[in-house]
Amino acid sequence: MKPQEPIPHNYSMRKLNLIFALTSLGLLAGTGLMVGYDYIRGWKWFQLEFNRIQEERIEQELKAKDDPATRAKLAEFDREMREGQVVIAKKRDAYLEAQKVLDEWEGKHYAADQDYRFTKAKLDAQRYVTELSVVQHRSDGREQQKKFADLTARVQALNLRLQQATRDRDAARARVDAYLAEIKKIEDRKKEITASVELLNKQLEAVSPKSKRMVLNLPMLDFINPTLKIDQVVLGDLFIDMNYMSVPRVDRCQTCHRAIDRPGFESKKEAERLAAELKRELDANRIQPTKRAETEARVAELQRIVDSPREIPNPFRTHPKLDMFVGSASPHPLLEYGCTVCHRGQDRATEFGRAGHTAMSPKMESRWKRVKMPFFPGPWDYKQRNWGYEENPFLETPMYPRQYTEAGCLKCHGGQIEVKNGDQINKATHMVELYGCHACHKINNWRFTGLQKPGPSLEGIAEKTYPAWAVRWISNPNHFRPTTRMPSFFYQRNMVGPAVPADERARNIKYQDAEIHSIVTYLFDRSTHRTWTPGPQGDAGRGKQLVDSIGCMACHIQQDTVKDEKTGAVRVARRDDFPLERNFGFNLVGVGTKTHAAWIYNWIKNPKAYDKLAPMPSLRLSDGEAADITAYLLTLQKPKFLQEPMRAPDPNVIRELAKGYLIGTMTDTDADAKLRVMPVKEQMLYLGQRSIEKYGCYSCHDIKGFDGLKPIGTELTTEGSKAAHLFDFGFVHEYEHEDGKHEHIMHNVPSWIYNKVRSPRIYDDERTKPYNDKLKMPNFHLSEEEARLATMVVVGLTKERVAANRLAASDSRMRAVEEERKIISQRNCRGCHIVNRSGRAIAAMISDSNFLPPDLTPQGARAQSPWLFNFIKDPTVMKIRPWLSVRMPTFGFSDHEAATLVAGFAAEGNESQFDTHRYDIPPQGNVAVGREVFAMLRCAQCHSTTSVDPANPPVPNTADATSLAPNLTLAKLRLHHEWIADWIRRPGEMIPDTRMPANFPRDAQTGGFKSPLAGAIDTPAFAAHKAALLPYFESEEALRKTMSDAVALTNYLRDYIWSIGINQMRSAGAGPESPAPQQQPTSPPVPVQTGDRAPAPPVRSARAGSRR
Amino acid sequence: MTFLKNFINVLSVASISFIFLSATFAFIVYFCLLDGKVKSKAGVAFIIVGLILATAGLWFLPMFYLSIAYFLSLWGLATLGPRLWDSKTGLWLLIAGAGGFGLSLLDSNFKLIAAKPDNVPIGAMIFLLGIFTWIALRKAYLNDRQIAAGGMTFEKTETNEKLFVWPDLVYTEMLCMIALTIVMIIWSVALRAPLEEAANPTSSPNPAKAPWYFLGLQEMLVYFDPWLAGVVLPTLIIVGLMAIPYIDTNPKGNGYYSFRERKWEIGVFLYGFLVLWSFLIITGTFLRGPNWNFFGPFEFWDPNKLEPLVNVDLSELIWVKALSMPLPKLWIIREAFGLGLILLYLGLAPAAAKGPFRRFYLKMGAPRYYVGAYLFLVMLALPIKMVLRWIFNLKYIVHIQEIFFNI
Repeated sequence: MKPQEPIPHNYSMRKLNLIFALTSLGLLAGTGLMVGYDYIRGWKWFQLEFNRIQEERIEQELKAKDDPATRAKLAEFDREMREGQVVIAKKRDAYLEAQKVLDEWEGKHYAADQDYRFTKAKLDAQRYVTELSVVQHRSDGREQQKKFADLTARVQALNLRLQQATRDRDAARARVDAYLAEIKKIEDRKKEITASVELLNKQLEAVSPKSKRMVLNLPMLDFINPTLKIDQVVLGDLFIDMNYMSVPRVDRCQTCHRAIDRPGFESKKEAERLAAELKRELDANRIQPTKRAETEARVAELQRIVDSPREIPNPFRTHPKLDMFVGSASPHPLLEYGCTVCHRGQDRATEFGRAGHTAMSPKMESRWKRVKMPFFPGPWDYKQRNWGYEENPFLETPMYPRQYTEAGCLKCHGGQIEVKNGDQINKATHMVELYGCHACHKINNWRFTGLQKPGPSLEGIAEKTYPAWAVRWISNPNHFRPTTRMPSFFYQRNMVGPAVPADERARNIKYQDAEIHSIVTYLFDRSTHRTWTPGPQGDAGRGKQLVDSIGCMACHIQQDTVKDEKTGAVRVARRDDFPLERNFGFNLVGVGTKTHAAWIYNWIKNPKAYDKLAPMPSLRLSDGEAADITAYLLTLQKPKFLQEPMRAPDPNVIRELAKGYLIGTMTDTDADAKLRVMPVKEQMLYLGQRSIEKYGCYSCHDIKGFDGLKPIGTELTTEGSKAAHLFDFGFVHEYEHEDGKHEHIMHNVPSWIYNKVRSPRIYDDERTKPYNDKLKMPNFHLSEEEARLATMVVVGLTKERVAANRLAASDSRMRAVEEERKIISQRNCRGCHIVNRSGRAIAAMISDSNFLPPDLTPQGARAQSPWLFNFIKDPTVMKIRPWLSVRMPTFGFSDHEAATLVAGFAAEGNESQFDTHRYDIPPQGNVAVGREVFAMLRCAQCHSTTSVDPANPPVPNTADATSLAPNLTLAKLRLHHEWIADWIRRPGEMIPDTRMPANFPRDAQTGGFKSPLAGAIDTPAFAAHKAALLPYFESEEALRKTMSDAVALTNYLRDYIWSIGINQMRSAGAGPESPAPQQQPTSPPVPVQTGDRAPAPPVRSARAGSRR
Repeated sequence: MTFLKNFINVLSVASISFIFLSATFAFIVYFCLLDGKVKSKAGVAFIIVGLILATAGLWFLPMFYLSIAYFLSLWGLATLGPRLWDSKTGLWLLIAGAGGFGLSLLDSNFKLIAAKPDNVPIGAMIFLLGIFTWIALRKAYLNDRQIAAGGMTFEKTETNEKLFVWPDLVYTEMLCMIALTIVMIIWSVALRAPLEEAANPTSSPNPAKAPWYFLGLQEMLVYFDPWLAGVVLPTLIIVGLMAIPYIDTNPKGNGYYSFRERKWEIGVFLYGFLVLWSFLIITGTFLRGPNWNFFGPFEFWDPNKLEPLVNVDLSELIWVKALSMPLPKLWIIREAFGLGLILLYLGLAPAAAKGPFRRFYLKMGAPRYYVGAYLFLVMLALPIKMVLRWIFNLKYIVHIQEIFFNI
């Protein structure tokens, strides 16, 4: 073989080796980087940080437990223990002997136990073999059966032996224990003290970074059982719509929000508020006795948080409404509801940006975004609350910014008028309903359909007011009435604002002048022209008294300036200076300038005569009262308003605009020809009609000729689910609002909507658009708070759906309640009444709560449905408190509406509508006892028991307001049988500010009722009563027992009240007084609806609904 | 003059770049690979046409700097000649390219698009394409010089030497593997995988883009009817690629780089691959924004930007504009001009076989010649249609909506 020729290498080996070494090191570093990057997660730091906070707390607690007294006690135990050991040592031999015996028995027991178990196992195996041989008819069947029998016997024998051994061993053990008993007792006592410390130490072990268990969190080891791990709840029936399928939510929020469901980590502010709240509850004795200690401990804990020098930072804080959300005892426990179903966001994400956090303001967002090192946001950033935030543009459901959080309620509670404790969302939906957003923007869900139009009918506008007023009003409604709900359509930002060039601005003003005049011309031309007969001359002073006292102020305001709460200066009033209920009717200021005496007189006497769908009810004014009020309202003048200059429309502009519409359907030449022969009035009528269409006036007002047109605005049914890129953000990023505030537009949906409702034409800034293409949404002059609430509703309207069983108020009982609440909201009942613990705007006007309209909260449990039905339809059927000056109005409810209300009240009170006790005749004995108790409790001091005509009861002596109480003969017709007794026992619990005294106070310990008559029966003062009562009882003892039994006494009282009740009342609409006398308008005659006998007037809501 | 104005107005970054690229391609072939000199008539014509095309944008202000840059680079190519293949020149070109790209990253709009994790590989692709094309052509040029001098190709020289599989091959391969792994790891750590939300049929992204390798096809959809751009042309691309070995039977250049020995084959292929395929992918990635509008590299991708839709058919140009008469009702008459033009275009192949390309026809034989020639004509149809669109707003040459036949 030839020696091989050396072949030269192409590369230098040394160089290659060097490169190999370097790249290998690089690969190692790269792998380290990869593992490290994968290992270092933000949430781990948050968990460590939370552990540190916990560790600090536990150490503090441990320190608190380590006081000298405890230490001394422990030392004492140790000494005693040593003594005990000495005692044992003295009996050492006997003890050792006993121990030895025990050891022996332990061994025997072990063997016996094993024998027994093994043999039993063999028996089970043999059972199978035996059965098999029988089934297969094997020849050894008999033999196997015998084996089985033998084994069974053996197992029994062994079991006996085992029992014997157990007994013997236990006896031996007892002997040993006897020696050790003393020491054991001491040990147990010691444990009592050390147990809590041990528990704390155990907790410390779990969270301390010094703990050995931290090894489990090392990279590559952390797959076993790390202490830092992702926490999640799987929500099986709260789905996320993935477009092609629905998947269950898996909320991982608590991976960082560690203490979200754990009380004790509140912010200081929150803790202070909660502590004050709980303290109030404690002081008012409203906490159940069993929970008292627990509550007190909680108050102490909250107080510690308030006093502690440091604030718990987010994300470690407790949920601020733990009693409502997330808490295990709340209606929305974490394990069932999670977080994202309300807050939205990406459920499975564990990174700040990916989870869909959305900032409240641009300032907040820029703080979130700041990081020291790109790619590696870490503790160095988190401490400054910079989260390395990157918006996730692909997320379809980013979290609601915090100011809109309650929007999330609507997903499940959309079928409710009110959400329990949802103060903000309730106000928001009420506001949207009242301001009429739903009129122009279809919102196709139960809450916002079937509602009445928010504006008054314009079909008779010429009877009511003058074109000169109407033109000025439409031009700037806010100027006439600063609190009006009528928005401003004209001379807005995109027409005359700072961004509009001067020449275009001049042109726009001319265009708008022409449109306004044309609209007014059209409205007055198409209006009915009935003339109304003026009433007699009235007295303005008396009129003012009436307006203030009979209840007008529940729905109306009569001031356009208020004293600012902060500055104390007088300023122009805003809507939100008053409760929403009082914005229901218009502001009376200037009404004398707007309209005239004859119209006012007839309108207040019977609003339905002018507009059969008018939301204003009749207060059944007499001619004199109506005249007085008319006289007063005429004094409310704004004379300057009508003197303000008004620009006449330019005929050329009218023609130009009219032509603009005409050329949509004909050629330019034809349009010119048509307009040439059209008189200016005709042109204005045409332009007016087209302008009403353009601005959608008909959406809120009834206008002749516009029936059945679709509402003008964008449908909002699922607006909250619309992606941000589908909104036109225009070119503006920030702007100066008309009220001087500086507003920012962030690139997210809530911000877009907020700025849209706050300044509706803002997105036209810097845009070049033809006149008719410019944004048309009118300006409601919403304050920041109002705009926030409106936005809350809109972003809450999403297409996200939850399983049917999660929908709130979906059972038939709750549906009845909600239907009732809808009418309550539509008729503004809360102006006067408290319903479901809120309302009664009129209370601001009437200082003495005794003269206020009733609290309807327990109405359903209280009133019998037939009575309630009659009363709602016609309040004159029964006067319960004839001394009230506030009047329950006649609303003109249809039978259906009244029935809905009654059914809803009954459902709300958890009471059946009809009562089996209606025709009960209580036993004579009960009545007699009741009568005596009635006298003993001096009920007659306030309540009259004289039979009366329900419609015209004598007015009691009103000089002493404290003596006012309903006549009890009316109770049988009106009240539920069971409710009467219940009411007597606990009036204050049902209606907090009632004047009915609590005769049967609650016992603070047991929670039961105490009888005021217990013991009193034997006093001389009650001797006569005692004598009268005795015949009805078996013994004096029985009498005494009954007198101390609150429930029995109240039942007797009820039976007595039932016995004196009248059985008849007039049914609605049949009396002389009802309905209010009609003032026939002279000409032309219009059909007048008279209560029930006439065909029921069509409900406005029904008509509004059918338009869709 | 109107024509010129129209021409300038329709030029945009992408169209001017496309023309520039075509010119660059021709310049490289002529000056750098074939040792062409400006003195020769053809060379002068090349330079003049190229410069006019590239500087046309001078009148169009936003294109000013771009045009100057294009002018300078073409001029540079012409003066550089074969020195383009010096390794120093290559290095400088690379530095210039990387520097330009790096400086551009300072612009926030450019960064937004170029640094998007989806687009980073396409950015890298530009450089890789450039580097590998340069290396291949450099080797080809050097070999050509060797062959012309009667020497051996480098590949031949190399294969005559003996080499160890280990360590010369396997070791270096392993080193490359390690280096690449490091690059991949760092890349994956530094740039997050661009994952998006679950697909939503009601919300399509704007712009909706094909996967990067199909962006060339998507770009073709702008100029051709879907059945052509989406069905016929892609099929022909695949069929054509498969047919190459049967059409090109030239045994020269097997196993070694060479340009002169197969200038038509390499030239046509590289033009198709670099200018018509890769450049369109790059355009689709970096220059096509919301609503599939063109955006300059430093322009903000504003979804509100609108481009007027004013394209016309050839029939409209001729009947309505030139002859001032309504379109004939019968499509065969209406589209006669377009159909004629297409037939003329298709007739180029037999005509060339008789005329200037007779040499090819004789060498290849009729079947090979015609298959190759028609594949080539179809390929050229794309740039032709693009230029026609830019200059005349031409929508379709033949537009027969009656039978859904549009070209």
